[in-house]
Amino acid sequence: MKNRLRVLRAEREWSQADLAEKLEVSRQSVNAIETGKFDPSLPLAFKLARLFETTIEAIFSDEP
Amino acid sequence: MERRVGSPAKYRFEDRALFVVVPLFFFVIAMDVVLGFLESHYHHFHPSGVLALVCAAVQSLPIVASIVIAGLYLAEETDDFQKTVLVQSLLWGIGVTLAVATFCGSLEKYGQVQRMNLWSIQLVFFAVAVVSTLVARWRYR
Repeated sequence: MKNRLRVLRAEREWSQADLAEKLEVSRQSVNAIETGKFDPSLPLAFKLARLFETTIEAIFSDEP
Repeated sequence: MERRVGSPAKYRFEDRALFVVVPLFFFVIAMDVVLGFLESHYHHFHPSGVLALVCAAVQSLPIVASIVIAGLYLAEETDDFQKTVLVQSLLWGIGVTLAVATFCGSLEKYGQVQRMNLWSIQLVFFAVAVVSTLVARWRYR
């Protein structure tokens, strides 16, 4: 699944560690989600959407 | 300020592994050494009856403890990705252990090797699980 996490994070000048701290997950989790190696759970996707003040669809896309 | 690199559940998991599984494992190794010494110095010394049952149960404690600790971690951890990494490591450990045990058991059954000390198969489980965890950490570093 594609996502715009890296872009959104860069816009706010947050490091992966910053985002991980805000989400209360490990930095490896953020890295795995950003690189598309791991799809977040629905609660984590909602948390990301709230954090970036947008919708889940605006962050994640199931298009190939 | 130093950042925390893991969740409280992960710290508890590491503490439990360090202070429960590792001492149990060394205790079991020491027990095997003592029993081997008694067997070599006092011929025909073999635990029997209830003692044999107790010895066998004690030797399986490290593996039982590690599975219980992993279960507690999976129940307490809120980071799904970290849970996935642990499950992958456990699957690798269990899969390789079963494959090695089956392979060795078959060789023994066909008379290709002498009787094996299969209690030490735990070593394979721990080694593969640890290597698998390290590979996952490197992959997602």
